[in-house]
Amino acid sequence: MKRLYVLLGAFLLILTGCLNTESDVNEGGSGEIDSGDNTVEILGMGSNEDDLNILRDQLTKNGFNVKLNIQPDYGSFTTQKEAGNYDLALNSWTTVTGNPDYAVRSLFTSEGDNSLFADERADELINQASTELADEYVETYKELEQHIVFDQAYIVPLYTSYKAQGVNHEIIDESSVRLPKSRAAVWEAIDFTDTSKRDTEPLILQQAIGTLTSLDPIKGNDGSINTLNTNLYVRLVNLTDDDEIVSDGSLSLNHTIAEGNEEYYFLLRDDIEFAAVEDGTAVNTGELVGAEDVVFSLERAKNPNSVPDHRTYSLHENMEEISIVSDLSELDGDTADGRTIREALEDGIDQEIEALTSDKTEVDNSSGVYQVVKVRTTNPFPQVLNYLAHQSGGIVSKEQVEKINTYEVEDYDVNTDIAYGDQSTVLEDSDQENTLYASGPYIMTYKNDYEAHFVKNPGYMPGTDYEPNISEVIVRFIEDSDSALSALRNGEIHILNGVPENKYDIVEEDDKLTLQQNESNGVTYLAFNMEDKDREIATNTELRQAVLYSINQDDIIEYYHGNKMPAVSTISPLVDTGLKLEADSDKVKELLQ
Amino acid sequence: MTLPKTFILKNSQKYKHAHFAFVLSLALTIVCFFNAYDYQEGLWSVSWSIVTLAYLIGTVLQGVLIQLLKKDLRDKGEIQKRTRVLSTLQLLGITVGNVFITAFAFRVLRKEESIEYTLAYYMLLTNILIFTVSLFNIFKPYVSNTFLPSMSILALFIIFSLITVIIFGKIDLIQGGYSKLKWLGGVVLLAGFTGNLFGFVLGYSILLKTVIRDDSKIDRWNKFWLSITKNFTAMLGLLFVIFTFSISVISYGTFVDRFATENNYASMLMEPSLAYPFGTDDFGRDVFSRIIYGARISLTVGVITTIIPLVIGGFLGALAGYYKNTLDNVLMRILDVIYAVPGILLAIAIIAAFGSSTTNLIIALSVGSIPTYARTMRANVLSVSNLEFVEASKALGESEWKIIFKQVVPNSFAPMIVKASLTIGTAVIATSSLSFLGLGVEPHIPEWGNILKVGSMYLETNPYLAIFPGIAIILLVLSFNFLGDGLRDALDPKLD
Repeated sequence: MKRLYVLLGAFLLILTGCLNTESDVNEGGSGEIDSGDNTVEILGMGSNEDDLNILRDQLTKNGFNVKLNIQPDYGSFTTQKEAGNYDLALNSWTTVTGNPDYAVRSLFTSEGDNSLFADERADELINQASTELADEYVETYKELEQHIVFDQAYIVPLYTSYKAQGVNHEIIDESSVRLPKSRAAVWEAIDFTDTSKRDTEPLILQQAIGTLTSLDPIKGNDGSINTLNTNLYVRLVNLTDDDEIVSDGSLSLNHTIAEGNEEYYFLLRDDIEFAAVEDGTAVNTGELVGAEDVVFSLERAKNPNSVPDHRTYSLHENMEEISIVSDLSELDGDTADGRTIREALEDGIDQEIEALTSDKTEVDNSSGVYQVVKVRTTNPFPQVLNYLAHQSGGIVSKEQVEKINTYEVEDYDVNTDIAYGDQSTVLEDSDQENTLYASGPYIMTYKNDYEAHFVKNPGYMPGTDYEPNISEVIVRFIEDSDSALSALRNGEIHILNGVPENKYDIVEEDDKLTLQQNESNGVTYLAFNMEDKDREIATNTELRQAVLYSINQDDIIEYYHGNKMPAVSTISPLVDTGLKLEADSDKVKELLQ
Repeated sequence: MTLPKTFILKNSQKYKHAHFAFVLSLALTIVCFFNAYDYQEGLWSVSWSIVTLAYLIGTVLQGVLIQLLKKDLRDKGEIQKRTRVLSTLQLLGITVGNVFITAFAFRVLRKEESIEYTLAYYMLLTNILIFTVSLFNIFKPYVSNTFLPSMSILALFIIFSLITVIIFGKIDLIQGGYSKLKWLGGVVLLAGFTGNLFGFVLGYSILLKTVIRDDSKIDRWNKFWLSITKNFTAMLGLLFVIFTFSISVISYGTFVDRFATENNYASMLMEPSLAYPFGTDDFGRDVFSRIIYGARISLTVGVITTIIPLVIGGFLGALAGYYKNTLDNVLMRILDVIYAVPGILLAIAIIAAFGSSTTNLIIALSVGSIPTYARTMRANVLSVSNLEFVEASKALGESEWKIIFKQVVPNSFAPMIVKASLTIGTAVIATSSLSFLGLGVEPHIPEWGNILKVGSMYLETNPYLAIFPGIAIILLVLSFNFLGDGLRDALDPKLD
């Protein structure tokens, strides 16, 4: 027995010698932080649980008392947000147009659609930057970021995301699948590895949301229709994978900016015709997509009263006038680079412009009869082209839309009036007729709760490089990202856009899959509640700055295994202002006192 | 009349126990074997190989013991001394954590079954397990401030339990004359406050037989506990339940809660190692510490969500059963309405309406199971209230409330206890499922369902994140079910 005690004593001695206790370790550090009554309430969604956990951890370590309000879905999140039950809300923003003005206008101006705060200085800077060209606006945007992020701390930037796409390369030719930074997927370019299957097998894609806002391009701007409408309607210009504006694969053969940055000219092509659905398949209506349709589409895009529930007019408000150019001499004006407009428009075109017409039935490019559309903006605003490349700038048929939208906008009744592009017209087994007129590469024949079915537009640039390769496209609605990934892995879908960061390994390790990655314009940030003046956070700038400097972006990027990039504001992915947010807990302590 | 020898063999609990321990030990040997070999590298891990070998030796020895037992029982009708001596070797199994063969060895070592002896060696086993599990903390970068004092107390408890085992291995309290042992009883009772509930039961048992000495009570106590202690699956269940409970109490002194709750971006998704026995999760938190901390919530919520409906349902059921002409229909039909809604759906609805918090979770899970308890209680009260002693109480002019709660309810309570112990397991699963769905406790709180949820996202790349919390849930539920079965055997009058 004695021996046992001796042994035990010796064991304890050794243990005491070797072991560090919690207080030993803490002595060197900053010690316990008094969490006081700095309570912050963070509102977020269940899908962002990981971010919320990191934020809770970082703020707690800096002396805040964090309360999390996690809502299961976007609907209840918005309800909580509108009720003002938060100090900080976790949001994300994607600049789908690829231009910095859009990245700041909606959120940071006092009049914006999703305005977060009202600040005169910010309004001023944003308006100033919008009139400037790329090399000038960097300084202005830098000043804006300094003001709204560091001086006033209206938002806390967290990170910029990457885009990732998984492609089944056994079925799909991966080099034909583009992953653009801003624009939606380019279906017409996608091809099978076995090209003999083009007409027999469908291309199967995935989308999370199955309830479509509207197939009228101006009536929606969200994840449910962005990709679909981009492929249903052609636009005046397109964005490349790196957000350059080009005419390739668009309705224009060429476009140019007249001197002064206020007038924009587009030379239209004559090989795109509208498609309609008859007996469940696409037919060519023989109606050319012409300048009259462009003018009609853009006029209704900028007019808030052209349709009920117009969701995108704020993107197009900068256009003052859209017109068809019929006078050939107008093209003799100069562009910014010293050429005439005509020279710029004819660049690389086989047949020179002989005559202009304002009647689309008379167009014949091969004999030199063209149509030219001119857009004039209220102020010099070069970024208007980005908005024209957005899906809401899609061209619809004047004749067809006027035929369907017979109601008066003021008297519109959602129960009796069926608007053009309404989801109910494309439902399978619907008693409504499918009235879509597609100017883009594909047309939707029907949709149900599980999938939407598209067929190739027979009149879309036949015989050119832009003619759609695959005749049939099916978009599966799979909401859960894990299920979608399983679907990709077992061959149920061919391409998955939006592979989660923690699943990159799985896609890379799978022999039949390729992971494509590109930077995205998606920025995740925390917005302070600036509405509710009873909350200390809205009035106390030091408190907001304390929150700002508590956030360590490096830790968050580390958590995502380096698959995120630092951000300063929503412009970070578009303009490099050289600013950076560095966590600083000493500064936080100072600010809190 | 002597019983036929084959009958003795067939009915020998010890022989069955030997088989049970053999099978479990064999299964663990195979698991260890698969762990010892690295398929990708084609290498044998030294430490795992040693453990596998130790398990293999234990299993083989157990096989030999089974043969010896069989021979002894068939030829002689009782276990021979040689077999007992050999089984002493199996006690060493505890060094590699093989509690199955150790528990068997302890059982065989004593000739007669004794409640105190059984409880004492299970108390010892629990203490050793807790000590070993807590000892893993020394591989961490640092330990809690109270680690050394707590471990010293635990070590003392082990020595103390060992002494208790030795004492009760020799004496039998039934014979009387051990009144000095009442001090021992007091101390053992105190040990129960570390969460080691075997201490409570053993302490009470000693005090009952040395201080109170009420023969009818002792008789009932012995009958109940003898039935439980003879049932090795029930004891194994009890061992794990008490171990879980005890470690969640002891962890306040031995574990650092930072490792379980604070994010550490320098050590994310690490494979199991000595410092992180179950690996780390995607936030760099130690899964081992999280599971230990999670035991608190899982057990607390599991037990409370069983007690609340037990009390409320029991009360309503007793009233309905006793006042069968007036209250019965009204009460039971109202409860039928609740019964018609599926329990988990009701819980989801309650949480969706009032928000997710631990309190709401407990309420949500409790409400749904009130009707089943009420039904069980009502059925028992209906039969008991017709018995003569109730008639006698009525004739004596006893008040109705006293009749219900002093005569009827205590005599209808046994099935309720059995039901409760069987449904705790379901409650633990329900808690974890709701957390898994994001409807239970907040996601950063270490709860088994939450831990499993994180694991489910890394099922292919880091499977250990899901395996360990999964095993913890399975073991706890299985233990409660084993225990419940044992209780039913001990309490059900029909099986007498």
